[in-house]
Amino acid sequence: MLKPLFVSLAFALPVLASAVADAPPAPARALHFSLKPLTFTEYDLPNGLHVILHENHAAPVVASYVLYHVGSKNERPDRTGFAHFFEHLMFEGSENIKRGTIDKLVSGAGGNLNASTSFDKTDYFLNLPSNQLKLALWIESERMMHNRIDETGVETQRKVVKEERSMRYDNQPYGSLFEKLCAFTLAGTPYAWTPIGSVQYIDQAKIGEFRDFWKTYYVPNNATLAIAGDINVEETKKLVSEYFSGIPRGAEPPRPKLTLAEPAGPQKLVVTEDKTPLNATLHVWHACDQRDPDSYPLDLLANILASGRSSRLYRRLVDKEQVALNVEAFPELFELAGVIGVFATGIAGTSLEKLDALISEEVEKVKTDGVTEEELQKAINQKEAELANENGTMLARAKNLANAHVFDGGTDEVNKQLDHYLAVKREDLQRVAKKYLLTDKVYILQYPAAEPKGGDAK
Amino acid sequence: MRRILPLLLTALALSAHAEVDRTKKPEPGPAPEAAFPDYVTKVLPNGLKVFVIEDDRKPTLTLRLLIKAGDARDGDKPGTAGFVAGLLNRGTTTRDALTFAKAVDSLGAQLEASAGPDAISVSTSGLTKFADPLLDLFADAVLHPVFAPEEFAKAQRRTYSMLTAQKKEPRALVGKLMNATLFSGHPYGKYTTPESVKSITRDDVAAFHAKWFAPNNASLAIVGDVKAADILPKIEKVLGGWERKEIPAVEKSAVAQMGGLTIHLLDLPGAVQSSIIVCRTAPSRAGTPDLPELNVMNSILGGGFSGRLFQNLREKRGYTYGSSSAFGYNKDAGYFQATAETRNDVTAAAITEILGELNRLAAEAVAEPELELQRQYNIGNYLLSLESAARVATRVQDIDLYGLAPDFYKTYAKRMGAVTSANVRALAEKYLSTKDTAIIVVGDAKQVRASLEKIGTVVMYDTDLKSVKQAP
Repeated sequence: MLKPLFVSLAFALPVLASAVADAPPAPARALHFSLKPLTFTEYDLPNGLHVILHENHAAPVVASYVLYHVGSKNERPDRTGFAHFFEHLMFEGSENIKRGTIDKLVSGAGGNLNASTSFDKTDYFLNLPSNQLKLALWIESERMMHNRIDETGVETQRKVVKEERSMRYDNQPYGSLFEKLCAFTLAGTPYAWTPIGSVQYIDQAKIGEFRDFWKTYYVPNNATLAIAGDINVEETKKLVSEYFSGIPRGAEPPRPKLTLAEPAGPQKLVVTEDKTPLNATLHVWHACDQRDPDSYPLDLLANILASGRSSRLYRRLVDKEQVALNVEAFPELFELAGVIGVFATGIAGTSLEKLDALISEEVEKVKTDGVTEEELQKAINQKEAELANENGTMLARAKNLANAHVFDGGTDEVNKQLDHYLAVKREDLQRVAKKYLLTDKVYILQYPAAEPKGGDAK
Repeated sequence: MRRILPLLLTALALSAHAEVDRTKKPEPGPAPEAAFPDYVTKVLPNGLKVFVIEDDRKPTLTLRLLIKAGDARDGDKPGTAGFVAGLLNRGTTTRDALTFAKAVDSLGAQLEASAGPDAISVSTSGLTKFADPLLDLFADAVLHPVFAPEEFAKAQRRTYSMLTAQKKEPRALVGKLMNATLFSGHPYGKYTTPESVKSITRDDVAAFHAKWFAPNNASLAIVGDVKAADILPKIEKVLGGWERKEIPAVEKSAVAQMGGLTIHLLDLPGAVQSSIIVCRTAPSRAGTPDLPELNVMNSILGGGFSGRLFQNLREKRGYTYGSSSAFGYNKDAGYFQATAETRNDVTAAAITEILGELNRLAAEAVAEPELELQRQYNIGNYLLSLESAARVATRVQDIDLYGLAPDFYKTYAKRMGAVTSANVRALAEKYLSTKDTAIIVVGDAKQVRASLEKIGTVVMYDTDLKSVKQAP
């Protein structure tokens, strides 16, 4: 599952929550926090391209990351999969780069490249030895300035994307899970379909539509360029200007709005597939969007429920009752909506009813009794360790800086994440549990095992 | 004049887009050198080799202990090493499973172990500020696991379910069948089954630990925001008392020679794609002196987006989302594999293309531009990989585990840069002959079998990896 890198926007609260007196002795809330802030320079070119530069000479490498603020939520319901398909076309070539040579240019320079498409964004990344910075700027500016789209490329990529869909989703047990989740719980919004989309729509799309899509969304004023690594900031500024300033600003791209209808009562969907090996169940609730202050307590709540072997659901379902093989809890928060879910795969022979009952019971408990100070501290330590690991490579840094700028309300949010978690109090966790994990608003998706009694348990 | 110059430069910078020649690839600056980072090695009196790789980019600490015994030491009970690894963090002499889990989680840390063919790896990762409690837990898991009967029973139950789940996962199945086929009769070819899980007892697991876990049969890599001078005394404190043991000598089993080309088809009714591996055996890691050169040869064939397999099967024909090849090396033997996942009706065509690309590499000289691209691709990506301290640690431990030359990585980039077209052809002849090849396919036999029979003899398997009679 795609987990957004950055959960949310700042909200002003004192940094340290005061300890609650009646808690049992908690693991030491460390007095110093070891995360080092990332330094960066950022500015806009006159054409609206946002540029973020991070200088670090630990290794002679440079990472370039371009984020276009367009994803599957910008698609029409009869053109799902379009943004992702377009991402494939961005590797075709440009006016000055011959068709099919982008990857060869990068490989031959000792680098590697890739791209991804999600609900809210499409991003392109290059890793190169630092003497090849200009190559990265040339390729990315060419793609932004005059990407080339022709029939040959479109036809081949249609086939490739169908195989990608089969490989990732249609041929894997539970591969349809995320697609079903979105269609079921986010119906009526542009989050109801996933970035891979439906192949039929890509077949129907005309070449003119791809060109229009590029003109609408692949404009500098809808893009962020982040460069991190062994660079000189002043020199890089000059180069960025040389390569990107000549690209004309485009019209402001349309921004979708949405309203999400609440479910009338608890909802249930049974997904029957021959390839399901073990019973599995998913409980989902609507949650906040990724910039909502509630995203922090929700994220910590998910950790307390299912992160680590001492988490509540793991202890109960996997360890004590031995009914589940694994269990996870995840907030999946987007730009304009969000869900929080709990997913459990049963041990062979476990009934879906049993899994559902135990999940419900644990969710009720957290709403009724809240969490302990010890649990909160543990979750915060898990977050600190997670954040500490996020900025190890130059690509990760470029990516995190750009995403903070576009989705979290400011590039500097990259350095404030831990503060936001530290500001969360025990009461906040119970509050968000009660606010979002509503018994009468739950969506339950069941995957019954295809074989009788969930397979051949011994 | 001197005062005007900076002004001029500014003016140039602002309007400079007009100055860039967009029609040509920009020239690179001088290439940086791929220097393997320095690290500290220390051998403790009990024989434990310790490597420290300092890296201050993240305030974290990672420890990875390699015990030089893995699945290949399971004997007639495949899965034993996996149980040892799975139970290390589930209870010690002083902490029961829950107490141990709470201790690890409360630090926000991870402490996990897994078994591979030649080694069990025990890893922990957490914030540097919690180094002391983390080391304490790590040593406890390695030295004092109890393998409590109730925890063993739970692990057995989970393993049955995992095996059930795997029977529907094409990727798990195709990998298992490849190993079973290439290494039939060798410990690498054995795999866990419900029967083998049933045969393993808690005492087998404890005995494996007692036999193989010894400081003189292990190496430890430490990576992170630490100084060797600070961390080494701490390591000595928690692992210095670990007693040296006599490690039993092991007879090396030979890997059977492959003969001919056979298609091994595992029937997964309803599959919408075929998972394909074209494979053959290859020498062991230590037995492959030409490894840097082989890397370049392999990437011409199937490395990255510019490799021939990707270009042919994906970009030219649209058969697959990806196709690539790789050599894998274990202590006793290695393997070569070329993979693709394709829709049913092009399964046979995709295999024919893969075989064709293997043959072409031995039959035709590679042109200089393509070879140069791949030399640079390998050198550059090796340099990029050095950004990861964890990768550096793995390589340092590999030198020890596989018995490689100590300066292996010092000359690595240089050797990849010197590969010639004649080298590539000779290596392809030596390592990629398609005369003796196993083709593993997991897919819907009803849809693909007839077309596969035109390529070679087809042997059928069920999802238990049992050879089955070919249905009419």
